[in-house]
Amino acid sequence: MRCYLQQKEFGLGKKTQDEHGKKCLVRFEPSGLKIEVPFGTVLLEAAHKAGIYLSSICGGDGYCGKCKVIIDSGQFHSRPTTLLTQDEMREDVVLACQTTVLSDTTVTVPKSHSLETSQILVGSDAHRFSQLPAAVRAGLFEFDAQVRKVYVEMSPPTVQDHTADHERLYLAIREQVEASTMQTGFRILQKIPAVLQNSGYKVTATIGRRGECTELIEIEEGDHRAKNYAVVVDLGTTTVAAHLVYLTDATTVDTEATYNSQINFGEDYIRRIIYAEENNAFDEMQNRLVNDINSLIVTLASRKRIDLQDITTVVCAGNTAMVHFLLNLDPTRIRREPYIASASFVPPIRAAEVGIQINKRGLLYCLPSVAAYIGSDIVAGVLTTRIFTKRGISLFADIGTNGEVVLGNKDWLVCASSSAGPAFEGSGVKHGMRAGAGAIEKLIIGEDGTVEYRTIGQTYPAGICGSGLLDTLAALFTCGIIDRAGRFKTDGRFKITEGDEGMQFPLVAGDDSHQEIVITQADINNLVRSKAGVFAAIRVLMESTQTKLSDIEAIYLAGGFGNFLNVRKAVTIGMLPDVPIEKIHFVGNTSIAGAKTVLLSQKAMNTAEEIAKSMTYFDLMSHTGYMDEFVKASFLPHTDLSLFPSVA
Amino acid sequence: MPVPEVTDSFAGSVNRITLGATKDDGGTRSSTVTIGGAKNVVYGGLVEDAGETPVVAMDVLDSKPEDWPEALVEPYKDVLDKPGDWAKKCVEEFGADLICVKFDGIHPDKGDKGADHAVKVTEEVLKAVGVPLVLWGCGNNEKDNEVMPKVSGAAKGEKCLIGIVEEDNYKSLTAIALADGHFLITAAPLDINIAKQVNILVSDMGFPLERIVTFQSTGALGYGIEYAYSIQERQRLAALSGDKMMAMPVICDVGYESWRAKEAKMEDAPGWGAVADRGPMWETATATCLLQAGADIIRMRHPRAVATVKRFISKVWKNKG
Repeated sequence: MRCYLQQKEFGLGKKTQDEHGKKCLVRFEPSGLKIEVPFGTVLLEAAHKAGIYLSSICGGDGYCGKCKVIIDSGQFHSRPTTLLTQDEMREDVVLACQTTVLSDTTVTVPKSHSLETSQILVGSDAHRFSQLPAAVRAGLFEFDAQVRKVYVEMSPPTVQDHTADHERLYLAIREQVEASTMQTGFRILQKIPAVLQNSGYKVTATIGRRGECTELIEIEEGDHRAKNYAVVVDLGTTTVAAHLVYLTDATTVDTEATYNSQINFGEDYIRRIIYAEENNAFDEMQNRLVNDINSLIVTLASRKRIDLQDITTVVCAGNTAMVHFLLNLDPTRIRREPYIASASFVPPIRAAEVGIQINKRGLLYCLPSVAAYIGSDIVAGVLTTRIFTKRGISLFADIGTNGEVVLGNKDWLVCASSSAGPAFEGSGVKHGMRAGAGAIEKLIIGEDGTVEYRTIGQTYPAGICGSGLLDTLAALFTCGIIDRAGRFKTDGRFKITEGDEGMQFPLVAGDDSHQEIVITQADINNLVRSKAGVFAAIRVLMESTQTKLSDIEAIYLAGGFGNFLNVRKAVTIGMLPDVPIEKIHFVGNTSIAGAKTVLLSQKAMNTAEEIAKSMTYFDLMSHTGYMDEFVKASFLPHTDLSLFPSVA
Repeated sequence: MPVPEVTDSFAGSVNRITLGATKDDGGTRSSTVTIGGAKNVVYGGLVEDAGETPVVAMDVLDSKPEDWPEALVEPYKDVLDKPGDWAKKCVEEFGADLICVKFDGIHPDKGDKGADHAVKVTEEVLKAVGVPLVLWGCGNNEKDNEVMPKVSGAAKGEKCLIGIVEEDNYKSLTAIALADGHFLITAAPLDINIAKQVNILVSDMGFPLERIVTFQSTGALGYGIEYAYSIQERQRLAALSGDKMMAMPVICDVGYESWRAKEAKMEDAPGWGAVADRGPMWETATATCLLQAGADIIRMRHPRAVATVKRFISKVWKNKG
């Protein structure tokens, strides 16, 4: 069949006029989704348009080999690639990014691509950290939500009391809320007289903080205080998570997460910036992110039977690039010297202005960021872990596509971002996956090489998520299946097999309906590099501040690893310093927790801004000692074994 | 006013090792070579802290080299295809402390000769000279793993220095060197951290640290010598500070690297002086420089360079017993 296609390829140069205008209908199985695209459209693009997720790390450049699909019928042209085996070629497996459609085509998307959107993990992790943020609970910040509904009963005007409606309302609001500077939009101003008079001067005013100023956002007849909701969002490069918060009592009523649908344009944000730049796709990037947020909000609202009009606030935290995409601010200089953001401090804006569908006058708040590579998610992490309030020195590490590290106390904070790579998020690992249903989140290897594991949702394993990968790497090392350089030992003690990508260790045997799950040498190298990046960043910060290991009183590890993260393993592999284990705390998604704190307290927002301003950013790429530290850390647990007395 | 005492003293020292096994020791060598033992940097501290005198290992190739410049071929022209005679010449005429048999001819691109050939060469050289040997593979992992264990076996009990092992290819040769009682060369590409990692990996296999010599890679004068110098200096300082994983003596490959320099061999360069002198000078300059960074064994090629370097060594280390 392939031969025929090669011939077809030949004819491409002489495309007829007809073919130029021709439309091709592409049908994707097993979903059955269809899309009509122009002749010669790249299959990956067609999939995107049809709303099909295809894994693609390289963003369509043809070198990651992740976007494999099977052509069932139809004519197509595939550029030659070395990323397919002979067997795959015989079965008409192609790389979607290297294939153009030349006729109506039916394509099967292998199961490994499927995202199972409804089952992304927010579960117990979310519940653990979903309640009233500790910082608010502990009284660090008083409860003073960004957007509040205030019920006021005014005495109607009389001859003696002839204050105008608008000012009368201000006075009444100020009796309840501290709001020295207030403003009102023109449309609301026009509404005030009628609403006041119709209600007998008993109204609910929705007021929102806009820095020092308090805006009268909405005015309604009667008492509507009970209908005030907010959504806090973590804009992750991989996952977008949202929590619905009931503002009256500050409880989290529901949570939901979805994959960031920009993922089709590259699995890391640098790649997405490049894509957006090359294809002038900034609007599309924004649309995708906004659509993700809207669909989360709709899901949450409909599940809790809440009117979207009653959602008055959205608070976002995320890496700098994601916030730029959301606001459609120029992100291109994030990836280019001198690596700057367009804005670090974003003023509150109308959520509707970026297309977020809540109350049309509702406000969108974004937490402040520090630098191009230290986003508001990290500020949120510092806020959540409260390391800026402590006398002793704490270390905060957020492991995502980048590994950001913050070190400091109440007097100083330093931070750095290592391009750790998305290995612990499951990307760049053959059977890696995000922490969703079927992901191995916990794994033990016995002395005889037998593997025991636990999956999220207790289903048949579909892959391995961050916590499972951490366990796997630690187990391979402690069992002596790999050496300290992370290479498989070939002494015959364990069953190492030869796979498509070289040596591999089988973790779960496959059968007719399930794929075998293995960890390959390339996976291990990626994981070791990731952990080395994080540890090297920690060392650079420690050395730059002359912080000794014994000075560190607490380590907070954040990230979307999965629920059963064993922090001990992070020390075993040398990702975190060897401190007594009780000092290490896994804190889950601190981005969303920090966003929630800001939602609930204007003072927390001020504090977040202070944190962002006070953090000193270390650029590791221009740091002379970083590479040295990185090579030292690219070893299990570390080249300097004396740094890991409990492991070595 | 008295001159202030500026001598540093250190807690650690470079391992002292003796290469070669005499009859009493179960081998056939007529002499042994002891290296290492320095308790300070070169020129630093007391004379007795300087450790053993550095030595010169002269290269003997298993197969006739095809690409050697005329100036280098000249002293060996009768023996280039007779490794035994070549080694004998180096020891008897040029004063080599050790012979380094370099198995270039087993490389798939340079003759692809087999284990039988390599074993024969090894036996020939062992028979021809009484000094200890260095046995150095061709650099092709697959071929070295196939041939060098046989070479090791052929020299079993002679306490040779065999290598090289690297981070991604150390298991076979380490195991065989351990079994055959040899010393091992651990190599790294001008990276102090990787050098240490290889030492750790090798010692994780049960290989004694006291039987390791490190090769940090060598850069000739004008071709990265500053990197080689600084890495070797860092290794010496690490050894002196008590880092057991870095306390090994050091070997340098000065001969090969120096003769790669175009200044050493380009004939049509009137402004540069006589080509017959330039090569030996380049080799000498590179060797003396690296000796000062703390090299213990220098691999060399040209007899005139060897003579000059040996004279240099005898002057710098002259007060040594």
